[in-house]
Amino acid sequence: MSSALDEVLTEVQTDKRGPLGPLFWVCVGWLGLNVFGAIFANILPLHDPLFGNYNAISQGPSARYWLGTDDLGRDIFSRIVYGSRISIAVGTGAMVIGFGVGAPLGMLAAYRRGRFDSILTSFMYILLAFPAIVAVIAVLSFWTPRSMFKIIVVIGLASIPLVYRVIRTATMAVATKDYIIAAKVQGATDRRILMKELLPNIAPIGISFLLIGVATVVTLEGALAFLGLSVNPPTPSWGNMINEARTVLAQNPWLVFFPSLALCLFLLCLNFIGDRLRSHYDVTETKL
Amino acid sequence: MSETDRLLVVEDLSTTFTTPSGRLPAVSHISLSLDQNETLGIVGESGSGKTVLARTIMGLQPRTNVEVTGSVLLNGHQMVGVSEAEKRNYWGTDVAMVFQDPMTSLNPVMRVGRQIDEALRVRMNMPKDAARARAIELLELVGIPSPERRYRAYPGQLSGGMRQRVVIATALACSPQLLIADEPTTGLDVTIQAQILNLIDELKERLHMSVVLITHDLGVVATRTSRIIVMYAGRVVETGSTRDVFHRMRMPYTRALLESSPKVTSPSHTRLHAIPGRPPNLVNLPPGCSFAPRCASATQRCHEERPELEVDSTPGHAFACWNPLPIRPERVA
Repeated sequence: MSSALDEVLTEVQTDKRGPLGPLFWVCVGWLGLNVFGAIFANILPLHDPLFGNYNAISQGPSARYWLGTDDLGRDIFSRIVYGSRISIAVGTGAMVIGFGVGAPLGMLAAYRRGRFDSILTSFMYILLAFPAIVAVIAVLSFWTPRSMFKIIVVIGLASIPLVYRVIRTATMAVATKDYIIAAKVQGATDRRILMKELLPNIAPIGISFLLIGVATVVTLEGALAFLGLSVNPPTPSWGNMINEARTVLAQNPWLVFFPSLALCLFLLCLNFIGDRLRSHYDVTETKL
Repeated sequence: MSETDRLLVVEDLSTTFTTPSGRLPAVSHISLSLDQNETLGIVGESGSGKTVLARTIMGLQPRTNVEVTGSVLLNGHQMVGVSEAEKRNYWGTDVAMVFQDPMTSLNPVMRVGRQIDEALRVRMNMPKDAARARAIELLELVGIPSPERRYRAYPGQLSGGMRQRVVIATALACSPQLLIADEPTTGLDVTIQAQILNLIDELKERLHMSVVLITHDLGVVATRTSRIIVMYAGRVVETGSTRDVFHRMRMPYTRALLESSPKVTSPSHTRLHAIPGRPPNLVNLPPGCSFAPRCASATQRCHEERPELEVDSTPGHAFACWNPLPIRPERVA
């Protein structure tokens, strides 16, 4: 056997993944900053987001109020930082529910198949047939008083069928591969196959869908806030800030601009990170 | 040797799939047996049921839409109609499998070493270090250079031949008594094919295993098996010792298979014999011999009545044909 040649070939094929790139880390940094702000908003030297300074109404950016004040004299910068709490909590909370329920069910259904899969999948597809946003709006309209917790639960439940579908499809593509059968005939239990063989293979898809899911939920929260169906004012959220500022758009354009910018950058970073991670870890796409 | 001492006894085994277009008998009424340290070749073209037969012997069926009847006694353990939990006791130690395509039979996101020692740790309850040492030993056994380094490699970093060696190492991890190799060389180029087949042969001798070698290439089984089963449309059409099947073949399909492989002795630019037509649709098989529509010597009877396996003059050599080829003393291959 030509072991020397094999040696060479193996070396050539040993392919280190390229770096994730500076833009990726910029995005991670920006998200980190957002999360940091959301967690430590209380401790940080910020203006009170609810305090209206009537001597400084509708001001532009200044040294004292970095991003200006709104028509009630509240500091916009501090409201954006506090508002990120709602967006980030709703985004991650809803996805924790969606993935917590949808992902295990999806994996199990794709691996087990049979009646369990048919019944569960039919049920999920029936749920998918309802326009989720309308259902969410309807439930939130009647389930008062509204709180962040309720919003997380409603959006989380609505996302379960979507997560289920993506994870089930991803698992199914892997579950029929020979290496799953190979693991099985080596005596691996179903549990072991699900956790050690299937999970690492669908993780890249799962993670990028998770990040994009968070982005979608943040947008949805914005839309709900815009309709007045999110947390009640005066608690700031990016969505209700945009909504309130809409009425004075002509006089005070930056009132709409800054929360929108915060929302946009947050979503852009999430999407970019999700996409970059997917292509980075997609072994099957490039390497085999 | 009595029937119960045999390593593998398959009796009247049928695997039928339920498909939207009807019942599909992928394997029908197959009986075979295998002794310790013997190599059995299963030959047939694509779609003849070789792989389904192998997987049924392993006890690997889809969970739904399949019906298996008959009996598979592996080392005295029944593999048909028992739960997966029970079969798990025999997988790895009694029987192991080498799959067709090394590109898909290794998990791309797991280091190859872990794929080998996983079996050791799960099935043999080996501690981590011992399993690692054994895995490296196995990598060395299957001829992988610098096994300590390859232990940490991902499948994507290895060539096809290397990967198939790793697959063989994973199959050998729990020292199985029977190794089923399902077209182990299909995904590899010719020079590597011979290496892998020789490796399986050599390992069989060293580890006292029995091997079921499945292939569509008669040339592959000619020198490596003691007995051959020729399959067509889910049935055995000829079986016997390798010598008998090659030198005293009676079934026109066997001859057609042999003639369709290129020979070194033929002058260059010789046209290859192709078997006309295609394998039949298993959902509605013709009433007679399944091979009749493609057979040159088919008669009216072949189309109407199915021939059963019939023992030839040599014991152990059987064929299913109404118009068997005459026995000729000349060498065919």
